[in-house]
Parts: sequence; structure tokens; C-alpha cells
Amino acid sequence: MRGWLIRLVARVPATVRAKLLAALLAMVVLLIALGVVSLQALNAANRRAEELAKLQEKLAAYHELQHGALMQNDRVSMALMVPSEGAAARGRPAQVRQRAQLEFELLLRQVDQFRANFDRHRFDVKDAAQFLGPVSEESHWLSEILTADDQFVKTVTQIAEAIRRGNVTEGHDQLVRAAPLADQIELATGNLAVLADAQMAASIRQSRAAYLTSRWVVTAFAAASVGLALLLGYAISLSLIGPVNQMDDQLRQIASGNFSRRVAVENRDELGALAANLNRMSEELGRLYRQLEDASRYKSEFLANMSHELRTPLNAILGYTELILDQIYGEVPDKIRGVLERVQNSGRHLLALINDVLDLSKIEAGQFTLSFNDYSMADIVRTVSTAVEPLTAEKNLALRVVVPPDLPRGRGDERRITQVLLNFVGNAIKFTDAGEVVIRAGVADGRFLVAVSDTGPGIREEDQQRIFEEFQQADSSSTRPKDGTGLGLTIAKRIVELHRGRVGVTSSPGQGSTFWFELPVAAEWEPKA
Amino acid sequence: MRKRILVTEDHEDNRRILRDLLSSAGYQVIEAVTGEEGIRFAETQRPDLILMDVQLPGLDGYEATRRIKSNLALRAIPIIAVTSYALSGDDVKAREAGCDAYVTKPFSPRALLVKIREHLPQDPPGSSR
Repeated sequence: MRGWLIRLVARVPATVRAKLLAALLAMVVLLIALGVVSLQALNAANRRAEELAKLQEKLAAYHELQHGALMQNDRVSMALMVPSEGAAARGRPAQVRQRAQLEFELLLRQVDQFRANFDRHRFDVKDAAQFLGPVSEESHWLSEILTADDQFVKTVTQIAEAIRRGNVTEGHDQLVRAAPLADQIELATGNLAVLADAQMAASIRQSRAAYLTSRWVVTAFAAASVGLALLLGYAISLSLIGPVNQMDDQLRQIASGNFSRRVAVENRDELGALAANLNRMSEELGRLYRQLEDASRYKSEFLANMSHELRTPLNAILGYTELILDQIYGEVPDKIRGVLERVQNSGRHLLALINDVLDLSKIEAGQFTLSFNDYSMADIVRTVSTAVEPLTAEKNLALRVVVPPDLPRGRGDERRITQVLLNFVGNAIKFTDAGEVVIRAGVADGRFLVAVSDTGPGIREEDQQRIFEEFQQADSSSTRPKDGTGLGLTIAKRIVELHRGRVGVTSSPGQGSTFWFELPVAAEWEPKA
Repeated sequence: MRKRILVTEDHEDNRRILRDLLSSAGYQVIEAVTGEEGIRFAETQRPDLILMDVQLPGLDGYEATRRIKSNLALRAIPIIAVTSYALSGDDVKAREAGCDAYVTKPFSPRALLVKIREHLPQDPPGSSR
């Protein structure tokens, strides 16, 4: 579901800006919808509050009516307590009549007031009914009150007229007949009040339920909006970040030389275009890289072939020369011998040059393979010192070897390490005219350190780095030019580096030089990819 | 009786140098130009030692050595491989093919003679050196 949504967003054929805009608009629409829903809930609450107010009004009106009816009934009872004509005759008739007139006046006033109240509240009630919807039971009671009250009013009016005429007895009699009407009215108003109370209670209950419902709706809507917004944001950002990460990965692969990977970005926006360009670039780079590799391979193949072709006749020259010098073809006069030795030296120098160029070109092409085996550094030092002994003897130099007896066995290319040490020692002898050459070997922290010190002219600081570069010897104005290919130190440096080691020199003019190399005791061969 | 050495070498000058060197040292030299010829001469002439150039056209020196060493009748003949300079792993390849020793071109004639004497059962009589 998640991946599906992200893919869907990615596949939308729109620009990133349009997608972001659409997402923003969607969120705005959600917010507006949330506002509308909230407003509706608020409106409903407001409406219910109005309803409650109307109900309250009606309730008050009914209670007032009920009260009026009660008062009216009380007045009827009071009026009934006025002594009748007969009783009046026994006492003081004038006083009785006066009191009856007073009571009936009060009753009449009360009846008028009730009537006025009723009429007024009838309009209120009608108004409320219009607002709340008609309630049949209510109108039943209302019409009953109306009927009863019409009759009651009529009766009371007649009574009032009779009393005014001074006929108390007639009034009294009629009142006795009218009393049940007053009871009926009172009962009806009571019923109305009960009805309104019940309505009010129900309405409060409803209002409460409606509030809970609308609260739930608004909360749910808000939660859904937030969820949807998050989901949308998540899908859009992932549909952007995913391809960016993929392309970042791809670029890393390209940086590390892997051109075969392709990013599969489904986006149909700027990122999709970027990915397509990236793929094209990777392909083009890969093609160029392969061309370069091919060219490099052709170059080193050419160099290998050429050096082989050069060496074959050179071998013949050197071979014949040595046979002649060995007098295999007969006596060699001293004059010719001297010339032949020069031929031999030049031939050997040429051979060394060819070999060094071949080595270096192989190193540059990454085709220089080392064969790693166990070796003894002590043996290497011994081999080298034995090999150079005749040279030191020739120049009257002392050769000293300092090797601890417990030097561990190492792992690496024995022949190449020997070549490095031979180069260092050969240089030291070549550049030293008097004094000594010392070879020191040691081990520390799992690394061999081998140093060759001489008492030669030394090397100026500015030349110390340069001498490890191709065809560089220290400034020839300060030292006597020496023969050599100028590649030996470069090759030595590369060989040591292929063992994950380092080379260096410490020297100051007039103080001799110390060339050193250090490499892991157990080196691992890592061919170039 | 003079010891006989089979030289398998395609390059004429190298062959001549070896011939001159070895005959002056008192050996009898049999010359083969190709690997196939080398195998054939090893079978028919039964030399006392074989000098095998590894870079031969067609069947190379390693393969020729393998075939000679797989022949029970010939396997006792010592074979010295002559390898080109600086081809790393040639020493390993030579040993794997069954060579008894190897020298690297350009060889010093004197050093080669020392190596040959090491692998011949005894010094040949009549050696001039």
C-alpha cells in the first residue's frame, strides 16, 4: 500500500513544483473542509440553544398559566365562602352584599387577568409551536382550556352582573355550578406544565447527545485530515527522496569506478529526467573508461612486446660480447678488450633501461603483479649484502649489516623487495666515495623497517621528494652525475606501495643520506580492479 | 663420452651463442628450433640435459617440458627453463611445468655453465674450463 502510493505519486507526469503545489492545495482544501464541518456543528449547537430558550419561555408561560389558574380557583373558593342570601338575612344583609361584591370583583379581575395571560401565552405557544413543531397533546389541552375558560368567563360575567344587581344568591348558585370549570382549567394548565417539563428534559438530553455526536464528528474529521495530510506529505517526500538516494548511491558507485549500475527511477518529473541523464552519463563514462582501459592495455601490451623485441637482439649482443671476452673465439688483444668492455657496459645499461621502462609501464597500467609468498627479511638483507660486496670492495667502502636475530618471517614478493633493497644499497654505494654503507632491518608494530645509510654527499631538502619521481636525480651540479636509469627509486617506491608500505629519505648535504622503507610484515596482495 | 645437451631455442643468435658456449665447455650440442622438435629430439637422442626456451612459437617451452616430463623414459632428464626477464610468476610456472631450474635472460654465460654443472650427474670429461 505504502510503496504503491509512493509509486503512484512518482508516476504522476507533473513537475515537482506542481506536485508540491497540489499537495499544499489539498491540505488547504482539507483545512477549509474541517472549518466547514466545525461551523456546521457550531450552527447546530446554536440552533439547539435557541430551541432550549424557546422551550424555557414556553415552560415559564405554562407555569404562569398554571399559577393563574390556581389563583383563579382560589378566588372561586374565597367567593364561595361568602354567605348566601339566606344567611345574610339572618345577619347584616348590607355587609354581606358588600363583601360578596368585593369578592366577586376580585374574582372577576383575576378571571380577566387569566384570560389576558392565556391569550398572550397562546400567541407565545403558537410561536413556539411554529418553531418547535406542533405538539398534538399540547394543543388538545390548550383548546380544552379555551373551551372551559370561554364558558367560565361567560358564567363569571353573568355572576358579576347578578351581584351588581344585588342578587347575591343567584351569583352564589351560579358560582357553585362554575367551580368545576375552574378546576378543569387548573388541571389542564397543570398538565401543560408537566408536558413542557418533560419536553424540556428531553430536549436537554437530545442536545447533550447531539453535542457528543458533533464533537466526535469534528474530532474524527480533524484526525482524518491530519492523517491524510501526513500520508500525502510522506508519499510526496518519499517519491522525491527515494530517487535522490538512489542517484546518490549511483554517483557513489560511479565515483568508485562502477559504471554498470543503472538507476530505475519511475518519476515522470525533473527527478526522472535527472535519473535518465545520470544513466546516460554513467553509460558514456563507462564507455570512455573502457576505451581508456583498452588504450592503456594496448599501451602496456605494446611496451611489453617492444621491450621483448628490443631485448632479443640485445641479448645476442651481450651474449656474443661475453663469449668474445671469455676468449671462446680466441685470444683478445687488450686494446680490443677495453672497447668490448665499453660495449658490454653500454649494452647492460640499455637493458636495465628497457627493463625499468617495462616495469614502470606495467605499474602505471596496474598490470604489475606481485607474487606473494613467505620470505625472510634477514635472507633478503644477506642476499643483497652478498651481491654488493664486490662493489664496496672495489670502492674501498665498509659495508655493515645490522639485523636482530629474531626478525619474524614476512609475507610479500621476495624478489621485488630484494629489488628495492638492492636499488637503495646500489645507490648508496654509487654515490659514496669514502666511509661506509649500513643496512639496518627491524620490526615494530607489525611492520618491517629497513634503512640504508651512507656517508655520501647527502641530498638537499628540495630534491628529497623529487628523486622518487621518474627520471630525476639530485641536482647534478652539486653531485657528480652517475649512470643509472633514473627509474629505480620510482619503481622501488611503487613496489613498496603495492605492499601497502612507504618509502622515504632523511638527509642533509654533507651528512650522508638514509633511504628507508617500511611495509607490513604480513602484506596482502590486492590487485587493481 | 661427452655429455649431450639439447638446446630448444627459436632465435638463431641465441642458439649460436649457446652452441659456441657449450661446445667450448666440452659439451655436445643438439639444436631444436620448435617445441615439437625439442620433444622429438628428446625422445630420439636422449640428451643428458635440456635447455628450454619458454617463449617458442606454437607449442611453448612449458608445454614441451610437461610432455617430456610425462614420458616415464625421459622424466629423469634435467630441464633448465630459459625465461624472459620480469615476467612475474615465470619461476612458479616453470616449476609447475616440471622444470628442474630456470635462468633468466639475459643470462651470463658463466652463470649458465654453473647451473648446468649443478644439474648434470657429473662433470663431463674433457671440459676445457
